[in-house]
Amino acid sequence: MAPLDFELATAWADMSTYITKTTPANSPTFASRCFGYIGLTMYESVVNGFPEYASVAPELNGLGNLPVPEKDLRYNWQLALNAGQAEIIRNIYIQTSDKNKAKIDSLENDFVERISGTVKDKAVADRSIAYGKKIAQLIFEWSKTDGGHRGYLNNFDKNLVFAEKAGCWRPPLYAQSFSHFPLHPHWGKNRTFVVADSLIDPPEFIAFDTLPGSEYYKQFIQVYEKEKVLTQGEKEAAIWWSDDPDVTFTPPGHSYYFGTIAIRKIRPDLPKCAETYARIGMAVADAFRNCWKWKYQFFTERANTYVPQHIDQRWESFWPDPPFPAFPSGHAIQAAAAATVLTDLYGDHFSFIDSAHVGRAKDEIRNTEFKARRFDSFWQAAEETAMSRFYGGIHTQQDNARGLEKGRIVGNNVNQLHWKTKS
Amino acid sequence: MRLPEISLLCLTIFYNCKGFCQTRFKDVTKEAGINHVFKVYEGMFGGGACVIDYNNDGFEDLYITGGMNDDVLYKNNGNGTFTNVYEQSGMTITKEYVTQGVTGADVNRDGFVDLFVTTITRRNRKEVIPREINLLFLNNGNGSFRNATIEYGLGDMYSFSTGASFGDFNADGWPDLYVGNYFNEYKGKLSVINDNTVVEANQIAKGYLLLNEKGKKFRDVYADYGLDFRGFGFGGVFTDFDNDGDQDLYVSHDFGYKRTPNKLLENRFPKKKFVDISKESGMDARINAMGSAVGDYNNDGLMDYFLTNIKFNYFMVNQGPGKPFVNKAAGLGLGFFAISWGANFADFDHDGDVDLFVANGDLNPNCVAMADFYFENTGGKFQDKARAYGLADYGIGRGSVTFDYDNDGDLDLLVVNQAPQMDYPVESFTRLYRNDSASGNWIKVALKGVEAESHGIGSKVEVEVAGKKMIREIDGGGSSHISQNSVIAHFGLGTAAKIDKITVYWTGGNKQTVTGVSSNQFITLAETPLEKKQGVPYSIIAMGLVVVAFAWFYLKKRRIR
Repeated sequence: MAPLDFELATAWADMSTYITKTTPANSPTFASRCFGYIGLTMYESVVNGFPEYASVAPELNGLGNLPVPEKDLRYNWQLALNAGQAEIIRNIYIQTSDKNKAKIDSLENDFVERISGTVKDKAVADRSIAYGKKIAQLIFEWSKTDGGHRGYLNNFDKNLVFAEKAGCWRPPLYAQSFSHFPLHPHWGKNRTFVVADSLIDPPEFIAFDTLPGSEYYKQFIQVYEKEKVLTQGEKEAAIWWSDDPDVTFTPPGHSYYFGTIAIRKIRPDLPKCAETYARIGMAVADAFRNCWKWKYQFFTERANTYVPQHIDQRWESFWPDPPFPAFPSGHAIQAAAAATVLTDLYGDHFSFIDSAHVGRAKDEIRNTEFKARRFDSFWQAAEETAMSRFYGGIHTQQDNARGLEKGRIVGNNVNQLHWKTKS
Repeated sequence: MRLPEISLLCLTIFYNCKGFCQTRFKDVTKEAGINHVFKVYEGMFGGGACVIDYNNDGFEDLYITGGMNDDVLYKNNGNGTFTNVYEQSGMTITKEYVTQGVTGADVNRDGFVDLFVTTITRRNRKEVIPREINLLFLNNGNGSFRNATIEYGLGDMYSFSTGASFGDFNADGWPDLYVGNYFNEYKGKLSVINDNTVVEANQIAKGYLLLNEKGKKFRDVYADYGLDFRGFGFGGVFTDFDNDGDQDLYVSHDFGYKRTPNKLLENRFPKKKFVDISKESGMDARINAMGSAVGDYNNDGLMDYFLTNIKFNYFMVNQGPGKPFVNKAAGLGLGFFAISWGANFADFDHDGDVDLFVANGDLNPNCVAMADFYFENTGGKFQDKARAYGLADYGIGRGSVTFDYDNDGDLDLLVVNQAPQMDYPVESFTRLYRNDSASGNWIKVALKGVEAESHGIGSKVEVEVAGKKMIREIDGGGSSHISQNSVIAHFGLGTAAKIDKITVYWTGGNKQTVTGVSSNQFITLAETPLEKKQGVPYSIIAMGLVVVAFAWFYLKKRRIR
């Protein structure tokens, strides 16, 4: 029996987050980019089957028109989606294990079997599969020139010369990664999906200062003071949103998973399912690209550098530092971008339960459990995502506020694409 | 006119300083002919030093790894100077590798110490996956070494190895090895790798537990002995933490708070088994463990462990059998901020307790200068006196070793430093410090194992003076940071002219004592093997049984006839 549309779409989203989580050397940057292409492929592989929806390919940064289905011939759009997802994931995660590749094949074959049973004409099935695959291949070809292709091979540029200025980023002493070099320093030069996203003005930054009472100092004293009074709930938020690339699907994966939550609750038709993932994917990808551009433009320190130097030498953040500069927060910008598109699609008031990390073993060092979280809107979740980095002691309030602000703009630019035909 | 006053003041300070600043440790690097700096590969790790008397002339020599620079073998000339004899050593193949740590033991029991050098990748070409074999050099006994890596079964262990430790965990007298790996071993050809192989290679790794098969070969028995953990390994030390006579293993892991913490593995000899007791012993430090120093700081007969870390070091004090260790770093005066690597316990001032040296250095290419520590043990508490004693070097410190290079009875110090990759406020190079601080009496005890390892690696020496007992464990390497101290046990004796008793606890359970030994001398204690139990050997009993059986059979046959 053929799957319901939402089951098919979410099964592939689950596969995307699973592959992200279980492929070594992953990073939030590379993962965000993958979600962009995987989501876009899902949408473009089905969009021509639904007259009220329009391809966004011509509006994207250099992609151009994708092939349209042959006129007057029938297609099965579930088969097209299925083939396209398998093809793009296999290509963009070419570095994943053989075991994972077998999982992708197996999911693809299961659906082919189930869907083909309902398609009487084999030519329709073959044509649909070929179409989906073709769309995936063209999008993958386009992806190769964006600057992030096979980015996992160059996570750290060991010839990078660091900026030397007051308040600049230093390799963390309480670190998430063994690297003394910062992650993907050139990621900000990558092509954005949406042209408008590459034109956003940089965020405002409070100038470095060591004077107690200065605005800059205040940013860090807040982080420092907060760490001393963290409630158990705040600790739970801090570890929940950490979305460590070594063991989870990364922060953009968390946002992609919110699409799955929305779709499982609303059960929309196939094009809306695909549109959901396309919007989230491109929003988090462009958010990360811009974030990284600004991170390396400002190249700012984290509290673990500033606080021991100017406030308290013995201080250490609740959560270890990731290996890249602080400003603005990557968590915040991508969460805001995703929340902006999800709110546009599913409304301001959308209550849901986030169980992304339920079942994970307790964090023994911090004596904190992974507990499901309930939200009344996507924005509430985005704000907690941002705030959780402040609780973790790795972001200041300005990192978060500017991140949320810019993420909203990125999300709006994605929303502004012409997803629907003019009626 | 205020000028003369100021000059006078300066002069006074200068004079006072001249009298007062007679440093206890003198930097003799240049005059001793030491000219070494470790060059780091892509911001990674290293290096280490191994104290070795490779030519058995009674003066301890040094092997120091160079990373991207050439290694050195410094022959001790016996007159306070060293000559680099590396080019003639038979070990120049190390030029092809990025070397990391080094450790020595008499692998084939021919009386000459052999060397094991860990490496992380090739030096002469850039590899997509950094990994390489480690190198075993057998001492020819004529001042040179030969590469025995392949012959000993180590020719296909392509790893990213940091530190190695010799120990005799099956107590058969043949020194075995533990090798710490930071990234995964990858055995395949680098010409056929794909993206998957590259990303898989960069993950936490298993170590190697290499059993020495009667001096002929090493065999990896990691799984056979019950080890299955992976971590960002910085090697480990073989040490008898529970005084049960066998060698346990303490493994250091980087990023223990995120991945695998440090591991304390209890040897269940004579079973072929290590049991992970990290958690219940409290030794599962979740830190960036760079190395450890082993010593009994309070002379209670129990080995304590100083663990180097980023920011704050741990001092795990042994509470006795069955009780978890307690980190007493802050309470005992060791709670200073630094990035620490090497560490050495030694009674530098001969007052009857061990002091502690700690080598500090930033994470290249980050280049914030930080001074080394010298913690003087003052009645069970420590005080940092590095600046006053001339040891507050701001070079980028890594491995450090103690040995008596001038054979004057006190322990000197060598600290391996890295070359900075960016602008650096001071010079950073490997330094040798001569100890001029010791005024009390001393004794040095070398071991000669017969059933135990030939230099007594892993055995313990206990000295009893006026009711006070002091104990040393013979260092098999992997200590400090990927280094190895002198294998000669050294004790400061204060004013005591005579030692009441020296007890050697040989690995394998043999124990022997000597009494009434004069201080201020270097003695060698040879192992007296346990006397074999009197009685008829099993083989003779078996032969006898066969004879009886035949006779009975023969007689029976005859009777039937």
